[in-house]
Amino acid sequence: MKKIATLSVLVLTMSAALVSCDSKREPGKIYMPDMAYSRAYETYAERDSSVFTMNQSEVGGSKIYYDNKPVLGTIQYTKTGELFPYTLPNDSNGYKMSAMVKNPLDSISEADLKEAGRLFNINCAICHGEKGAGNGPISTSGKIGGIANLTLDSYIKMADGTMFHSITYGKNNMGSYASQIDRKQRWMIIKYIRTLQPKPSVATDSTR
Amino acid sequence: MSRFRISINKALISFLLIFIFSANNQVFAADGEALFKANCANCHKPDADYTGPALKGWSKRVPSPDWIYKWVANPAQMIASDAYAKSLFEKWKPTVMTAFSNLKKDEIDAILKYVDDYMPPASTAQAGTNGAPAGQSDNSLLFGILTLVMAIVAFILLQVNSNLRKLTDEKEGVYRTEPIPFYKNKTYIMTVILILFAVGGYYTISGAIGLGRMKNYQPEQPIYYSHKVHAGTNQISCLYCHGSAQDSKHAGIPSVNVCMNCHMAIKEYKGDPIVREDGTSVNGTEEIQKLYKYAGWNPDTKSYNPDNNGDGAPDGAQPISWVKIHNLPDHVYFNHSQHVKVGKQQCQTCHGNIQEMPEVYQFSTLSMGWCINCHRESKVDFYNKETGEGNKFYSIYEKFHKDLKDHKVDSITVEKIGGTECQKCHY
Repeated sequence: MKKIATLSVLVLTMSAALVSCDSKREPGKIYMPDMAYSRAYETYAERDSSVFTMNQSEVGGSKIYYDNKPVLGTIQYTKTGELFPYTLPNDSNGYKMSAMVKNPLDSISEADLKEAGRLFNINCAICHGEKGAGNGPISTSGKIGGIANLTLDSYIKMADGTMFHSITYGKNNMGSYASQIDRKQRWMIIKYIRTLQPKPSVATDSTR
Repeated sequence: MSRFRISINKALISFLLIFIFSANNQVFAADGEALFKANCANCHKPDADYTGPALKGWSKRVPSPDWIYKWVANPAQMIASDAYAKSLFEKWKPTVMTAFSNLKKDEIDAILKYVDDYMPPASTAQAGTNGAPAGQSDNSLLFGILTLVMAIVAFILLQVNSNLRKLTDEKEGVYRTEPIPFYKNKTYIMTVILILFAVGGYYTISGAIGLGRMKNYQPEQPIYYSHKVHAGTNQISCLYCHGSAQDSKHAGIPSVNVCMNCHMAIKEYKGDPIVREDGTSVNGTEEIQKLYKYAGWNPDTKSYNPDNNGDGAPDGAQPISWVKIHNLPDHVYFNHSQHVKVGKQQCQTCHGNIQEMPEVYQFSTLSMGWCINCHRESKVDFYNKETGEGNKFYSIYEKFHKDLKDHKVDSITVEKIGGTECQKCHY
């Protein structure tokens, strides 16, 4: 009899202990922390500041410089091959010169064009609209002004390189998309934008 | 009589003429509106400054009525030659107006007429300020109390019943032993202990299962970022910010520059009021100011702070330490790209209706049973040898291709290609 009573009290306290730590603002408890949390550095994990530094002036001595960025000038290795870095600087001169840069993709396969359309819809259509007419949700709600209608004459005439320059560095209210879309994808998207534009009746510049 | 008829006819004709004229006018005005929306509205508003100045009342500002046509045709040349054009450029630089040489004079007139006649639409007042849906009341507490009251009543009735029986027995002269009090009655004690055991056991087991599972985990974030506003109201694709979900193990937390893609231009929050769950309201504009601090962006000069300390970022900028919500233990391998790109799963399948969550919480249990269940049910994008559709990787599964051909199976689930093997995720 007494045994049962002790046992039931034990069960009750245990359940109370398990249930009580139930706040949605706290991550909660786990069985084996050493198996749940990685001992190796995971993405976004905070680095040990006594070992690593992001400040160039602290380099030397015992500290290791690490800033998460690829080494300048390195090219990402992919199966299809990543394109060479774009070297024109982000200034008015670079913008002018960009018109001479040719699209390295001569032709684009149907699958690539479809992929480019998908990327366009994710990254660009939010402002420029799915048809490129400058009427995406952000544009029509009036949150950002000055959004380019890519089907206008001036954008039909715009060279691929200039478009690439603007996507890479941003232009006016548009930010840089270099961190979101890689170089090849940018050129693919430009090819896709060309399919959205009405065909010009007169031949335009030769840089295309 | 005939005179009367003539006057009626006259009236009719003049009425018709007025009608036609006014209708014509309407077309003219609408034309101006259409032209304005197609060509100007991206940078100009009729009654408010935008990327460019407000256009209403233009005639009072420009030096001569002809000036506007020259300006629209070639703004860059005007900036170089005209004093007023130069002062305009100084105010609005570095943006220069696009030249609209294709607009004819009467089209410009139509636009200008539309702009001058423009009246702001009557503001549609927001009826309900309470954005939060009425919470569904939880009835379990009520039922619990009810059950307890019933149990006490039943207990009292039982006691009354035994007392009454005792009384009648005494009246009839039947001798009975003095009954033992209920707290010493073994039946009662046993019942109570059994109930305690069942209830306690239930909570113990469910608590133990819940250990390490963080369903509904909803940490407070450094910036009150509302997915409802961004992914819901503004319809931004999940992959716009979490693009690495397509190519990497991690869905990726967007770096501050991705936020700034839009927030360089969007400085204040003007949408529906946001209310925290405890009822306090969120000042969206203040939260955007917090972002500017993290980004090292100066909203007044519209530029990033200079980088004087040489760390490659604007001075004062620092990464935002968002709190990770969905945590899988280290002993499980999970890859986002495998699910998003190859498996073509929607984000919402695992994360719930993120576009309706002001503050994100963990929607799924992320337990192993939950994973396995989905792997048993989900079909893979199996390669179809005839049409060439589907993922070509699966062309190597000869047996399944044969089974599909013989109609032994109608689809291939993740489980069939080994999606429930232990070492697929635990290694």
